[in-house]
Amino acid sequence: MVKTLIQVLLISLLASHASAEHVAGHLVQQPTEKWKANGAKSHLYFAPSFEELPINGAFKRFTVGVIADQKQPQSLNVQVQIASADLGSSDLNEAIQMVDWFDSETFAEASFASEDIAMGQAENQFIATGLLQLKGMKKTIEVPFSWQASNHNNISMVGELALGRHDFAIGTGEWASGDQIGLAVRVWFELVLEIADD
Amino acid sequence: MTIKNTQARWGWLSKVFHWATALLIFIQIPLGFYAESLRLSPLKIDVFIWHKSLGMLVLLLVIVRLLWRIKITIPIALATSRLEKLLASAAHGVLYLLMLALPLSGWITSAAANFPVKLFWLIPLPPIVGPDDGLKSIAAEVHEICVFVLIAILVVHIGAALRHHFMLGDSALKRMWF
Ligand code: HEM
Ligand code: HEM
Repeated sequence: MVKTLIQVLLISLLASHASAEHVAGHLVQQPTEKWKANGAKSHLYFAPSFEELPINGAFKRFTVGVIADQKQPQSLNVQVQIASADLGSSDLNEAIQMVDWFDSETFAEASFASEDIAMGQAENQFIATGLLQLKGMKKTIEVPFSWQASNHNNISMVGELALGRHDFAIGTGEWASGDQIGLAVRVWFELVLEIADD
Repeated sequence: MTIKNTQARWGWLSKVFHWATALLIFIQIPLGFYAESLRLSPLKIDVFIWHKSLGMLVLLLVIVRLLWRIKITIPIALATSRLEKLLASAAHGVLYLLMLALPLSGWITSAAANFPVKLFWLIPLPPIVGPDDGLKSIAAEVHEICVFVLIAILVVHIGAALRHHFMLGDSALKRMWF
């Protein structure tokens, strides 16, 4: 009798200890860190296609902010200066800024803000889901990326996705058909993140 | 009619080369000016695909033609003087140079503008140079100068052919025709 009583006491004590620890684990927050892309070392590329041949280009000015804990990125925010789009020649660069295309005079900035970041299939793979705002249009998109510490101070973030230009009214009017200039645009990025000072 | 030239006549292969190229050039000149005059539109792009496709065909033809020319007899010139003979062969030489320089400068212009090309909507034309605004302007300038030199020489070339046929009454034009 005494033996069982002690046993019950012990078990409940252990159990209550364990649950206390469990609660504490939830209460103690992982330290979060703010990261930003190093502009000189990071690249945001895009490639429209012409007669199914890609034209490789890049946005030269953009900012990327990531909030992450030690385990994984928690939020991703991107701003892109549309006028910085560079397809390699002034002819093409002038053309893509026209009203039918990016119309950067009216819509100077595109942005992406994640609502959720989930783990991907493989290790170090994540998928950010969030709203892309581009040329005044909004669409929820998925941004898959890898997240890897490249050394003590840097994180390398690499990803690729395809956007439909029709979803953002890019290439309207006589350009709407995808026969000449494809509807799918490849977008990919190679970012080097460092701790944000602020 | 034989495939090969003789001292007096052109063989049929040389004739096909000459007249196929001539036809393409007569299409290319107005097509180039038309393409340039259009505002940026899908039509302009399509007209340029025609222009680039036919132009690269000229390049292919002239290369094969020159290789063929090295191997065969050239009919003796029907010139009335040594100066005329010299002028005729100089003009022909410049025409061959232009048939090379025009497609090449066009190809460089197109590639330097980072514009991908699929010849006849089928065959990807590899970029001969990387994107380069400065080079693009120079190549476009060369292309245009070549066009005007070509037009000037063709006026003389065709004028000379007509002169031989109607004024001198010799076989110069007949021996190039079928
Ligand atoms: C209506 C237009 C044309 C006429 C009537 C014409 C007439 C001729 C004739 C009669 C010859 C033979 C000369 C000879 O036997 O000595 C010739 C040669 C030649 N033509 Fe034309 N031609 C025309 C257009 C062109 C065009 C557009 C080009 C090229 C841009 C061209 C390039 C040449 C060349 C390079 C030769 C010399 C062939 C050689 O020596 O291999 N011709 N042309
Ligand atoms: C037989 C060969 C060719 C002829 C006679 C020819 C003739 C012309 C003419 C008359 C023009 C308009 C005037 C000018 O701006 O130069 C032009 C423009 C042009 N051609 Fe050609 N062309 C030839 C081959 C090509 C080829 C093979 C390409 C490209 C692969 C090409 C690309 C262009 C381009 C891009 C322009 C516009 C130049 C600019 O931006 O100012 N051409 N051509």
